[in-house]
Amino acid sequence: MSALVSILMGGVFHASILFLVAAGLQVVFGVQKVFNLACGSFYALGAYFGVSAVQWYVAAGGPPAFFIVPLIAAGALIGVTGVIVERGLLSFVYERDETFQLLLTFAVVLMMEDAIRLTWGTAPVSTSGLYLVYGQARLAGAAVPVYNLIVIAASLVIALGIGWLLTRTAFGRIIRATADNREMAEALGVDMRRVYAKVFTLGTALGTLGGALVIPATAAMSEMGVELIVEAFAVVVIGGLGSMRGAFVGALVVGILRAVAISVYPELEMLIIYLIVITVLVFRPRGLFGGAAA
Amino acid sequence: MGTSRRTFLRGATAASAIAGFPRVARAQAKTPVKVGVVAIRAGIAAPVGTAGLRGTEWWAERVNKAGGILGRPVQLVVEEESNPKDTVERYRKLILQEKVEVVLGGISTGVTLALAPVAEDLGTPWLSWDGTTQKGVEETMPKTKWSFRSVDNEVEAIAGGLLTAKYFKGVRTIAGINNDYSYGHDCWQSYQAVLKKLGMDVRPVVELFPKLGVTDFTSHIATIQQAKPDLLMTSFWSGDATILMKQAAGVGLFKSMKGVFTTAGGVHDSLKKEFTPEGLLLGYNTMYFDDPKGSALLKQFVREYKTKYNEYPPYECDHAYFCAESWKTAVEKAAKGGQWPGKADVVKALEGLEVESLSGKRSWREDHVMMCNFYQGITTHKNSYDFVTIDPIEVISTKQAMKPAGTKLLEWIAGWKM
Repeated sequence: MSALVSILMGGVFHASILFLVAAGLQVVFGVQKVFNLACGSFYALGAYFGVSAVQWYVAAGGPPAFFIVPLIAAGALIGVTGVIVERGLLSFVYERDETFQLLLTFAVVLMMEDAIRLTWGTAPVSTSGLYLVYGQARLAGAAVPVYNLIVIAASLVIALGIGWLLTRTAFGRIIRATADNREMAEALGVDMRRVYAKVFTLGTALGTLGGALVIPATAAMSEMGVELIVEAFAVVVIGGLGSMRGAFVGALVVGILRAVAISVYPELEMLIIYLIVITVLVFRPRGLFGGAAA
Repeated sequence: MGTSRRTFLRGATAASAIAGFPRVARAQAKTPVKVGVVAIRAGIAAPVGTAGLRGTEWWAERVNKAGGILGRPVQLVVEEESNPKDTVERYRKLILQEKVEVVLGGISTGVTLALAPVAEDLGTPWLSWDGTTQKGVEETMPKTKWSFRSVDNEVEAIAGGLLTAKYFKGVRTIAGINNDYSYGHDCWQSYQAVLKKLGMDVRPVVELFPKLGVTDFTSHIATIQQAKPDLLMTSFWSGDATILMKQAAGVGLFKSMKGVFTTAGGVHDSLKKEFTPEGLLLGYNTMYFDDPKGSALLKQFVREYKTKYNEYPPYECDHAYFCAESWKTAVEKAAKGGQWPGKADVVKALEGLEVESLSGKRSWREDHVMMCNFYQGITTHKNSYDFVTIDPIEVISTKQAMKPAGTKLLEWIAGWKM
């Protein structure tokens, strides 16, 4: 039983990070119809910025138990990069072919990797042993780091928050209206420039927050975003492009399947995920929740 | 009013002339000798490539301060190591356009496999820092004229096996987590072969091969926990070693099993005491920065490296330093009457040459393979750093742990006389 719990918890922990990155991808695609390859880079950026914020906090004598406060603040704050990328780059290619948008976001991936290397160097950086500050919890006999549980809880809170934002607020209604029919929304007086800037920033902040949240449990490497984006693609295909619920369910499917595959037959770790992807593409090309923005 | 490009350049030239001209003018009494360097500075191996480049730069500064090689100052021409195809192009450029006297560097095995035949074709000495001309555990270019290559990839796993038998005698079940490419597979295979040969009755219970660059091992660790091995072996050498260590500490993995990290010394200063326990076997490859028996040269290098980069140097610095220093010694040895020697004479002088390197004496075997020592030991918290070091320190020579010329690795291990 304890073995099953640790494997499942490993899967859910991975899923919670995947969800944040995939959710960022989904919200941008749902509204702006831009497939943002750079969402993995924002994740890496959040991780590095999170490390710096925590290092600064610790050096300033902040109590270790509260390191999560500057960490989350840093993750959310660096999300403002989204406005710069959206206004400074993406806004010029909205009217062009999708290929241009893909190329542009890919260029951002490469530039961001270099920018990270220039700023933080080539060696992996991490937040030292803060990961262990909260100790371990025992779940059905299995030891689970409390920090992992915090990340899972934070991810759930963010998922609920996005759900609330999309369904219960005026901004959410505008987002959904824009996702459904951009021209109609514009005709009704929605300022598309503002909506796009806000949505892209939201998408970016989800990625940077994911990176910041994961960093105490791992180490930041400049290419970490590329690694995750591949899995995020699987999540959006399974869940359905543009759907938040899809991102949630897709991340859980990928995270748990990966954990089970590693435990039962590690050679199949990737194969099993892509078998599901292919099955979804063949039998339900829109994904499990495809078609809706929320 | 803005500064025009021309005004700026004029100013910059004048400034540099004031700042550095007298020294440069003296050094340029003879034409500089161009030394080509190929170094990875992006991607997962970037820290390794950067360390190699730093070691080479330190060497060049030192040589130039001492008057250069045969009176000629050294000028490094650095090119990027990326994929095999592009690196081959840059390598050709170094030799054909830049007219370098030697090329140093090369880390990825994929790249060095591609460079070796080109080096032979272009007839300029090439001394590789790492990566080998091996494919799997078999030598692909056993007889080279111009290429000099680093130690075999698997030596640290073999050394780790030898020390496992010494320190962790009672082990019966083992688990391995290694990267899913030739290095990871070869290390795991060699490690097991050594344990078997040494008569340890061990059984592998889990074999995991995650991709290079994975940053979450929680599921792998859960799988290892489930299998309850007596020992976990890994040849992780990058940030993944740090991540594995940290996530293992999160569930107290090494409270119930021994740990062998054959190569993690490459990222040694990231292995913080907070999450790296004492009692693990840790390998530093071919240079241990904190060796109390280390030479004055090593101590000077470590001190200056720390001052300049605020880090403690990993082994790749010494692979690079040795390549450069041995080439310089060979040039001086081959020179007749102070005349700069031909490239073929330098190659001849390199064969069998031994020089003082950062980690001690290193040499080139007659078949152009680097010979040196490997440093491994048991992790300890008793030091003034915030990361672990090793005590005791075990020194294992390539004479003991690297296959001799012309042999096949696994057959050689199987043939050890016990």
